[in-house]
Amino acid sequence: MNFRDGAHNLYHIIVAIGYLGLQLLWYFLQIIVSAWYYILIAGNIFESYFISYGVLKKYKSLHIGKLQYLAIVIESEDAHQTSKVVKLLQWLDSVGVKNVCLYDMNGVLKKSKETIFQTLKNAKSIEEVNEDVTHHAPDHMTLEFVSYVDGKEAVAKAANLIFVKNFKQHNIGGVLDHQISLEPHLNQALQIVGCKGPEPDLLLVYGPVRSHLGFPAWRIRYTEIVHMGSLNFMRYGSLIKAIYNFTKVRHNYDFPKASSQPSTRNK
Amino acid sequence: MFSLRLPIPLEKTLITSLPKTSTTYSAYSGMTRFQVCHRYLSNSITKRGTSVVAFQDEVDGEIFVDAFQDEADGEIFVDEDFLEVDPLPVELQPELMPKHVAVIMDGNGRWAKMKGLPTSAGHVAGTQSFKWIVKLCYSWGIKVLTVFAFSMDNWIRPKVETEFLLNLFERSILSQVEECKRKGIQISVIGDTSKLPKSLKSMIANAEETTKENPKFQLILAVSYSGKYDVVQACKSVAKKVQDGLLHLEEINENIIEKELETNCTEFPYPDLLIRTSGELRVSNFLLWQLAYTEFFFNKKLWPDFGKDEFVEALSSFQNRQRRYGGRH
Repeated sequence: MNFRDGAHNLYHIIVAIGYLGLQLLWYFLQIIVSAWYYILIAGNIFESYFISYGVLKKYKSLHIGKLQYLAIVIESEDAHQTSKVVKLLQWLDSVGVKNVCLYDMNGVLKKSKETIFQTLKNAKSIEEVNEDVTHHAPDHMTLEFVSYVDGKEAVAKAANLIFVKNFKQHNIGGVLDHQISLEPHLNQALQIVGCKGPEPDLLLVYGPVRSHLGFPAWRIRYTEIVHMGSLNFMRYGSLIKAIYNFTKVRHNYDFPKASSQPSTRNK
Repeated sequence: MFSLRLPIPLEKTLITSLPKTSTTYSAYSGMTRFQVCHRYLSNSITKRGTSVVAFQDEVDGEIFVDAFQDEADGEIFVDEDFLEVDPLPVELQPELMPKHVAVIMDGNGRWAKMKGLPTSAGHVAGTQSFKWIVKLCYSWGIKVLTVFAFSMDNWIRPKVETEFLLNLFERSILSQVEECKRKGIQISVIGDTSKLPKSLKSMIANAEETTKENPKFQLILAVSYSGKYDVVQACKSVAKKVQDGLLHLEEINENIIEKELETNCTEFPYPDLLIRTSGELRVSNFLLWQLAYTEFFFNKKLWPDFGKDEFVEALSSFQNRQRRYGGRH
């Protein structure tokens, strides 16, 4: 009986030691993973500073020609920080990105429009520019301010406009022409209700969530979307890297994109 | 940051090397096998092979594709019951699972090219990843999965490829309809079906009708779909309602249009999470209207290589995000 009890106890001790050993191993693995995670974060920060100070040569020359229209989505809470928004636009101007669409859901940036234009001396509103913004000479910035109402609500207004017009034209007993090709009419109607901007090539999202927060859906069919983190932690190096990656990556479009041709250069 | 629980219970730390099914499959005579795939299964750890078996009939050069095949000890096994429930990984919280996941299954062609295989082999391998994702979503309490099976823009691809794709799609769904009905999986198809072959159209109608009762999970297949097309057809539906006197012009707003979108076939029309593979950072005209607050997860893996680990990573990323839906905390 004593031998049996002894064997039993020994078994329990061995299991307990084994379990403790596994737990220690698990904690050790977690330390390794956490340390690796922090090293990656530190690496990103250092890389960003190296890019900012021109240490990394490959980021020195950006082929901006491929980026004809850039959109920036900012979370409305962060959009109140007008000085940061202006700083971001100045960075973009310095690297040659001249056509920018600024979006925040609640229209905070629209309210700060005047302040932004006063601070950026060479910027014009897209409404003031008559020619196609993607082809104008790069002597000034063109800014477009967009909010949620320019997305789904605008499509509803545009659709309404088409229906009204269509009913007036075919007003024989109120018969609506279902055969009309609606998409080009919708495009035209969106221009009429004020949605003038082209489809952006690249959309940068500044916010905690990797989402475009209601940016006009009609305009982002083939737009590259990059999450940049919070506006509070924006860095020049990260901006340059995002633009550089866009210009260098081979875009595997399934068709010849209207606003920009696919790049044949590989990443 | 540190978890006190071991990730895998002690008794389940051994990896078994036998596949789950053991039905022997006879190869076609006169066929050339390109590659052999391997799969090792255990109770809690799954490692997927990255090869695929495709057979080519040497007589007329036609590519035949069949179920994903495993090889162990010289015998070829066919995957049968893909809807066996998979336990939820410990790093995921069941209460934070997204209700609706959307997936852009990109990279089949590039995967095949990298392996030196024909494009069709990439699509076959892609169907296995698709089955995996359906199984995992079904097992883990996700209510709706929408996959971008075939885009309206894909019609410009070579006819041989589009016909192959649609044929593969038709055979894949046809073989699983009864299983889906048994398991309570509702199949819905969205997109412009006018260009699809008659057989496929009738198969879709049959699949939707067969699986519509008592669904526990909904699988939405976007075939010949584009986000713009969806909005346009919604506007046309609204116009029809106005003409029929069911609606007044003054009542038209975004909510009215939303109700006419093709995704109104589900209780949860707005995806919580969108996953796109192959490293492309675009939505490519997929669910444009519905993605306003969707969390994006872009993964560099090509679709045939996207498996459980990558899906868990996407879900973990989703669960760790703060989603404000445009408002404040």
